[in-house]
Order: sequence, then structure tokens, then C-alpha cells
Amino acid sequence: MALMKKKSRVSGAIPTSSMADIAFLLLVFFLVTTVFEEAKGLPIVLPEKSDGEVAVAQKNVLHLVIRPDGIVEVKRGESPSVQQVRPNEIGAIWRIEVQKNDKLIAAVKTHPLAPYKHMIAVLDQLQGAGAERISLQLLEE
Amino acid sequence: MIGGGTGGFKRKSKVASDIPDSSLADMAFLLLIFFMVSTTFPKERPIKLDFPEAEATKKLDTKRKDILHIYLEKDGRIFINDKLTPVEQVAAVVQPIYYETQQRLVTILKGDREVPYQYVNAIQEELSRAGAVRVTFYTNLAQRVRRERR
Repeated sequence: MALMKKKSRVSGAIPTSSMADIAFLLLVFFLVTTVFEEAKGLPIVLPEKSDGEVAVAQKNVLHLVIRPDGIVEVKRGESPSVQQVRPNEIGAIWRIEVQKNDKLIAAVKTHPLAPYKHMIAVLDQLQGAGAERISLQLLEE
Repeated sequence: MIGGGTGGFKRKSKVASDIPDSSLADMAFLLLIFFMVSTTFPKERPIKLDFPEAEATKKLDTKRKDILHIYLEKDGRIFINDKLTPVEQVAAVVQPIYYETQQRLVTILKGDREVPYQYVNAIQEELSRAGAVRVTFYTNLAQRVRRERR
């Protein structure tokens, strides 16, 4: 009699209580593995090919030549003197120079074999100092 | 009167005291589907890239669909949409994408910090040839404080 009673109590429904556990397990897995691609960096607008060469007075140009070893050669406009500095000093130089001449353009010329990080270091300094007129070029020997 | 009272008690005792958990699975699956759809697993990218650091790193507010990522490896190999692309074909690959986005395209150049600059310059020339002049050099945010401590 007791046995009969027990049998009749067994439910015919499929157990759904573990469904949430499985779903959460998968959820945690995707939460941990998801990597959203971040859009960040140093923005710049390249010159359009059709623009051609634009003549700029030498006195309005600050030449920054990046050597393969990361040293930057600073040449102010027509002045023949060359100052050798480290990339982290460029920001201060720009701030001083732009106060003297607000039409100043930074012409960054990078040696073909110089690592990309040195160009980024100089660009970072210029953008940090508020420079907007920046020209990126490859150094021609 | 007493009989009626006991009836009321009986009805009250039938109310379940459990927190309803039948919708728990639904919510979990909803979140699950969101993450499944939004996840992008990086496909075969042979070498791990080390990006340069910059203090002036800015977040872009461009829509995801208007962004194109170009990967540049240390040895100068270029990957666009996970496909190895020779440098002279970059303009041909980028130009259709540029017009698809109604000329709103922003190219994010993800170059290895040690890559010689000539490769970066070659990509820049190809991009300006394609008309896609809005470029962002991908950088990680550098911590000024940490650098000073060193």
C-alpha cells in the first residue's frame, strides 16, 4: 500500500529548475570572453591627393625630424640651427613657438626605419599641447 | 460564525510563499542571446600586436558601422577585416567601404609600436588616394603618474 502511494506522487513534468543554472553558466562564459573593440587613439585628417602641394612660408614651419633612435631634430623655419631633443620635450617647445607665431605648422618628418612609436610619441606631445596643424611626412634622404 | 472563520484561514494558507522563479531562465536567456550576438571572437591573427601609448588618447564618438580597422604588423604585413592585404591594394579595398558609409568612414590604424614608419606612411598614402582621409592612430592611454614614478 505504501509503495503504491509513493509511485503516484511522481510528477510527469520535465524539471525546469536547472534551466536557469545552465543559462547563467553560458551567460557568465560570454560575459567573460566578450571583448568590445574600442575606438580610441590619436585622430588626424590626411591631406587629399587632389590637393597637391601647398606652399607654406618657411617661417611658419616647425620642422621635427624623427631619427631611428627616437631623437627628434627641431629646426625652426629658416633658422639653420638644429636642436636635438627627446620626444617628451616637444610639447613644451610647441607651446613656446606657437606663442611667437600663431600660424605655425608642425612638419613631422619621420625616418623610414624609425619605429612607429616614436612618431606617435611626437604626435601625442603635439596634440597634448593643442596643435592642430600637423603634417606627417616620410623623411627623404 | 466559527465555521466561516476557519474557511478564511484555509484559503489564506493556500497562497504560495515562494518567490516566482519561472521567469529567471527567460531573463538569463535574453542576456545570453545579447552577448552571443554582440561577441566577436578575434579570428586568426598570427601575431599579438603591442600598441603604442599616448597621453592624448581620445575616445571616438563615431558609429561602429563607420569604422574600419586596419592592422599593421611588425614585419609590415597589413590585415583589413582579418584578410592579408598587399599595401598596393589598400586603396582598392578601402574605397568601396568609404562610399558604402556615405564618406563618413573613419579608419583606425592599429599598428605595432615597433613597425618601421615607412609602412605606416605607405598606408597613409593609400588611404588618401582612396579619399578616406579621416584616420586615427590606435593608441593605449598612457598614465602620466606612472611614467613620472619611473
